[in-house]
Amino acid sequence: MPANAVTEAPTAPLKSPILLIPLAWFVPGAGHFLLGRKGRAAIVFATVLVTFLVGAAMRGPLFHPVDNGDVLSRLIQFGGYLGDMASGIFYFAAVFLGYGPLDVAGYAPDYGAKFIVAAGLLNILAVVDAYEICTRQKD
Amino acid sequence: MKLDHFETTILFALVSSVILGLVTKKTDEERLRYGLYCFGCFMAALFGIGWAMRLLHG
Repeated sequence: MPANAVTEAPTAPLKSPILLIPLAWFVPGAGHFLLGRKGRAAIVFATVLVTFLVGAAMRGPLFHPVDNGDVLSRLIQFGGYLGDMASGIFYFAAVFLGYGPLDVAGYAPDYGAKFIVAAGLLNILAVVDAYEICTRQKD
Repeated sequence: MKLDHFETTILFALVSSVILGLVTKKTDEERLRYGLYCFGCFMAALFGIGWAMRLLHG
C-alpha cells in the first residue's frame, strides 16, 4: 500500500438488516443486543415491557381493525392496531393468553390503551436506531 | 392499577424520555442529558398546559 493511501471507514453493514430488523421488532432490544449494544438492549427491552405492562395493568383494550363505522374511526382503529402490534412479542403473548379487558367506564382504560400503543411506538424508535447502527450511520 | 392523571403523565414522560435519549445521541453522557432535557420538556408542558387549563376554565 502506498504511504499516502487514505484508509476509508468500512461501509458494509455490521449484520444483515433483513434479518436484524424483524428480530428487533419481534423482541424489543434484540437488534441492539445482536449488534453488541447489550446495555442499550436491556434498557429498550425493559422500557417497552414496562410501558406495555402498565397499559395492560390499567386494563387498556387492544385495537382491532373494523370494517364498519366512518373513515376516521376505521383509521384510528387500524393505526392503533399497528401500534399495538409494534410491541412484537408482548402483543402476541397478550393475544395468545387471551388478554381482553372488559369495557369499563373511566379514564384508566383509555390511558392503558395509549400506553400499549406507546410501547409499540417506542419499539419502532429502537428498531430504527438498530437499523442505523447496523448500516453504520451511527455508532 | 389505578393511577391518577398526574402519575400517568409522569410515567409516560419517563418511558418516552428514556427511549428518546437512548436513540438520539452518540455518547452516554449526551444520551443522559438529552433524556433529562426531554423529561424536563414534558414536565414544562404538563405544568404549563395544566395551569393554562385551570386558568382558562376558571
